[in-house]
Amino acid sequence: MRETLMLWWQLMRLRARARLQNRLSLVLAWISQGFGYAGAFASIWVILNRFGGLGGWRWPELAFLLGFQIFGYALGAMFTFTQFRFMEEQVRDGEFDMLLVRPVNPWSFLVFSGIDLQYGSHFALGLVLMIMAGLQLDLDWDLLMILRLLLSLMSAAMLTGAMFTALGACAFVLGRSRFLFGLYFDFWELSRYPAIIFGLPLQLILLTILPFSYMGFVPVSVLLGKPVPILGDAAPMLAILAGPITALIAAWIWRACLRRYQGFGV
Amino acid sequence: MSLIIQADSVSKIFQQRKRLPGLSGTLRGLLKPETVPVRAVEEISFAIRAGEAVGYLGPNGAGKSTMIKMLTGILAPSTGKVHVLGRQPVEERVANAREIGVVFGQRSQLWWDLPVSDSFDLARHIYRIDPARFAENRAEMVEMLALGSFLDRPVRQLSLGQRMRADIAMALLHGPKILFLDEPTIGLDVVAKDVVRKFLARINRQRGTTIILTTHDLQDIEEICPRLIMVDDGRLLFDGPLRSLRRSFGARRRLRLDFYTDPGPIWIGGARPVGSSGTQREFEVDEDGRSLIDLISALPPGTPLRDASLHEPGIEEVIRTHYQRRRA
Repeated sequence: MRETLMLWWQLMRLRARARLQNRLSLVLAWISQGFGYAGAFASIWVILNRFGGLGGWRWPELAFLLGFQIFGYALGAMFTFTQFRFMEEQVRDGEFDMLLVRPVNPWSFLVFSGIDLQYGSHFALGLVLMIMAGLQLDLDWDLLMILRLLLSLMSAAMLTGAMFTALGACAFVLGRSRFLFGLYFDFWELSRYPAIIFGLPLQLILLTILPFSYMGFVPVSVLLGKPVPILGDAAPMLAILAGPITALIAAWIWRACLRRYQGFGV
Repeated sequence: MSLIIQADSVSKIFQQRKRLPGLSGTLRGLLKPETVPVRAVEEISFAIRAGEAVGYLGPNGAGKSTMIKMLTGILAPSTGKVHVLGRQPVEERVANAREIGVVFGQRSQLWWDLPVSDSFDLARHIYRIDPARFAENRAEMVEMLALGSFLDRPVRQLSLGQRMRADIAMALLHGPKILFLDEPTIGLDVVAKDVVRKFLARINRQRGTTIILTTHDLQDIEEICPRLIMVDDGRLLFDGPLRSLRRSFGARRRLRLDFYTDPGPIWIGGARPVGSSGTQREFEVDEDGRSLIDLISALPPGTPLRDASLHEPGIEEVIRTHYQRRRA
């Protein structure tokens, strides 16, 4: 176990060193992404100011949701997004074969060797929004509440990583997977809003087949003491367990697809 | 020496998806995909002993890389069995990977933006190499492959030849029992090829590392591998010493005779006339054992012979002729 941890650490260290070779591009990526998200959130704020609320959610509550959603997403995506989004190319170019001839778990190797520092602005924006909104909301921040927040964020991060893993694994079987990431982000945008504003069928989809509601709406509703339709009393537990459950399903999909891996070329 | 690689009637069949034209075809492909079986490897058997150096040769699409992928644990055979160091590679992939080294000529294990030495350090963690043994192996590789001058340079600044040398060194740092190389000299210049070939031959001789090498370049095989396995269309064509290849493929030596004056029709027992131009005559010699003197002695007395030569067909020529004959 100690050797495995050392390997993960070494991989993260090398990845960070490689990325820091070009600091300017990293800073520019932070700035551009930060502005991009800030712009999107500002437009939501404008709409909310005009209409007074969104599905019964006021600005500080929605700001907390936006901050939570982007922070949890960044936490999962920094370990998974780049690698699994490019899985199609890795399979096609034989890069994935190179992993299989090493005495390592290919998933762990991909995750730790591909850690992405470009999410700095996501974390900063998410943290600022959560702190500012948290102060305005007058919440009772006791130890249990903080623990619940941390576990929910972990769950949201696991959910993100699990979904990217499952989508990337499709490249083993289909030879293609990039198009699935486009579909993912179409639905992911919905996780910025309180699911209560959507129709019942879409709410159900976002709680089951495409569990994007657990990336923001469900855990934030629980933290803010707001009711969660459909889930009811199960919401607090599911806000924390959604990530691990999805991760187990993703691990099963990854293994099943890997068993059918055929590589490219003869 | 013990057998360390065994392939018993190994076949690999890929199910290739049929791409149907148009939007309706794409939708149909998603809902009910149609597949076509592609036989990449068919019923191939061979055994390799520890310390051997074997060239695995074949044209594009012959199934060379597929066989290497099955031996290294990337792919499972569709039928038949593969054993490497007593294991089925795909079933015990991690244990197998610890004892083999793999170099793919067109891909690199090195970190593009970092110095070569960082990638070597990573190999120490990946293969859990004892620090003292690592230091010893690393020093040996640096010396043998002359890596010292660019060890601390980022990989992106290296030439292809330097990168390949570093890649080969990285694959050997953990002291693997078997080294698999898939086209290791592809794209290299003459000097770099020579360095790689000499090094591989030396590693095989001195360390006893078993080498399995796929290549298009016959000189790789002539300089490194005394044994050749040749495949085509997924099937085994030849397995044996390189020197037996000519006989096995029916390649015959050519006798060329040059006369002072046109000698008219000439007949030599055991040699078949294949060409005639002016005062020159050419024959294919049936028996391998006959010497030039034997053949000249068989000429009718008084024939105005000026010069004679006996040509061995080159390996490349033998194989090229075989493939051309097969395609015709």
